[in-house]
Amino acid sequence: MKGALVLTALLAALSMLSILWGEVRVPPGDLWRGLITGEGPGALTVRVLRGPRLATALGAGAALGLSGAIFQTLLRNPLAAPDVMGFNAGAGLAVIATLAAGLTLPMPLVAAAGGVAAALLVAVLGHRKGQADTALTLILVGLGVGFTATGLATFLSLTISDALAIEARRWITGSLAARSWLHAGQVWGMGLVLCLLLAVQARALGLLELGRDLATGLGLNAARARAGLLATGVLLAAAGVAVAGPVPFVALMAGPLGRGLTGARSPALRLAAAAGAGAAIMAAADLVARSALPGIQFPVGVMTGILGAPYLLWLLSRAFGKGEA
Amino acid sequence: MKPTPPNPGLRAEGLTLGYGSRRVIDGLDLDLPAGKVTAILGPNGCGKSTLLHALARLTPPLAGRIMLDGQDIRDLPARALAQRLAILPQASTAPPGIRVSDLIRRGRAPWRGLLQPWNAADAAACEQAIRALGLQKIADDSLDALSGGQRQRAWLALVLAQSSRYLLLDEPTTWLDLPHQIEILRLLQRLNRDQGLTVISVLHDLNLAARFCDHLVLLGRDGLVALGTPQQVMTEANLAQAFGLAARVLPDPVTGAPMVCPL
Repeated sequence: MKGALVLTALLAALSMLSILWGEVRVPPGDLWRGLITGEGPGALTVRVLRGPRLATALGAGAALGLSGAIFQTLLRNPLAAPDVMGFNAGAGLAVIATLAAGLTLPMPLVAAAGGVAAALLVAVLGHRKGQADTALTLILVGLGVGFTATGLATFLSLTISDALAIEARRWITGSLAARSWLHAGQVWGMGLVLCLLLAVQARALGLLELGRDLATGLGLNAARARAGLLATGVLLAAAGVAVAGPVPFVALMAGPLGRGLTGARSPALRLAAAAGAGAAIMAAADLVARSALPGIQFPVGVMTGILGAPYLLWLLSRAFGKGEA
Repeated sequence: MKPTPPNPGLRAEGLTLGYGSRRVIDGLDLDLPAGKVTAILGPNGCGKSTLLHALARLTPPLAGRIMLDGQDIRDLPARALAQRLAILPQASTAPPGIRVSDLIRRGRAPWRGLLQPWNAADAAACEQAIRALGLQKIADDSLDALSGGQRQRAWLALVLAQSSRYLLLDEPTTWLDLPHQIEILRLLQRLNRDQGLTVISVLHDLNLAARFCDHLVLLGRDGLVALGTPQQVMTEANLAQAFGLAARVLPDPVTGAPMVCPL
């Protein structure tokens, strides 16, 4: 309970800072007036620039955090997350390919298709006939799929016009620059629908984490439940990527951080904590990314990469130390 | 008391089990009586666990069928089967940090509809399971912090909270030292005597099985060797056939149950 308050307070503080802090210094009074009345010098900053950017960051971070927590629970491995396993990169590649082909398609759907395609590819490549899929095989195959997707995305971004290349860069590293309320609405809308679907499946997740046989013995159709949860996880990742690009490491870090902060034990509470932690990581990373060096705005993905890469190395060294790899 | 079903017990008819082209069990007919403690015994690789999994519908048979109280288990919906028959597989993993009581609560899954809240029957079943396994003092502890014997009792409490009349256990005493093995087997015996549960376990220790079980099923590499009471099954000829083991069988000096002394 105390932990949940800490996480909520952290989110509130990060949100306040994100609105108050920026390259253009606007007094808090003007920001407040702009927020309430929509007039004065603060209105543009709050209502058009920082507001939708923050809302998008929170929504995308929560979606990615939920997705990571689902995969980590189902595969029983802290390394299992859509960013490590290439689903985010696949979603990003699909968007770049669409841009490069000059097609105008709804990007959330394109991103979802790319994420699902990458996930299916990982499942097919990681499967050996007659053998149970081990989490580590899937993770390593996923890393390969992710690198390939990022490589292809970079290649495509070099073949297209400069104007498109700037947009394309978002889909390689992940960025929250120039987000509108449309993007925020998109990720929150899709996110809420997927959250409802996930809430219905939370109990099944609690059984599946006891192992497939025991879950089946407890009356669960394990194969169907697993497929439903995996699909929800891939779509949540795609919902986040569709508005923020394949921001790395948010999904990987959110589950353990949320759990560590709140001490949540039941599957439903752990998922909620992961969503909160993902939103906090994304908002914090974006805040740092746009204020660390005066005059330069890093994409948020660069910042989560700097934060997340050492964490990934630490996890890997622990996995190898335990002889799991 | 519920009326006794017409054909009580768990029954395999012409059961053939295997993976791909490899047949582990071929055309097995087997009657496991209701209301008894049964052990399934046999050498490694003879298909004991595979059989147990098939009895709980975790592994589909290549041929044949399994009848639960006269009903083909394939005709039962998943939750209805889980309300009548519980299985504790050998390798179960718990999420890190889970509390004993939270683990046991998950045993109520077959009785809960999708949106059905936790009710008094669920609470009572969990409380009863905790009491039956003597877990009152450690119910709020983290499972990771328990000893091997306590942890095994917590897992048993989970399937007990399932409130099914049949309890299938895959090597419930493996990894435990002798006193804890005996503790678990005594518990199973008591659950059978007090609550009338049908307990069917895969066991490795022949002497403990002979001492604590009413009914034994002895499998060899080529299928069923013997079934019946410990006295009927635990004979020198049967042991030689099932395990290729040369042994004398003597009455154990404490209870008189058959005791195996390898030569």
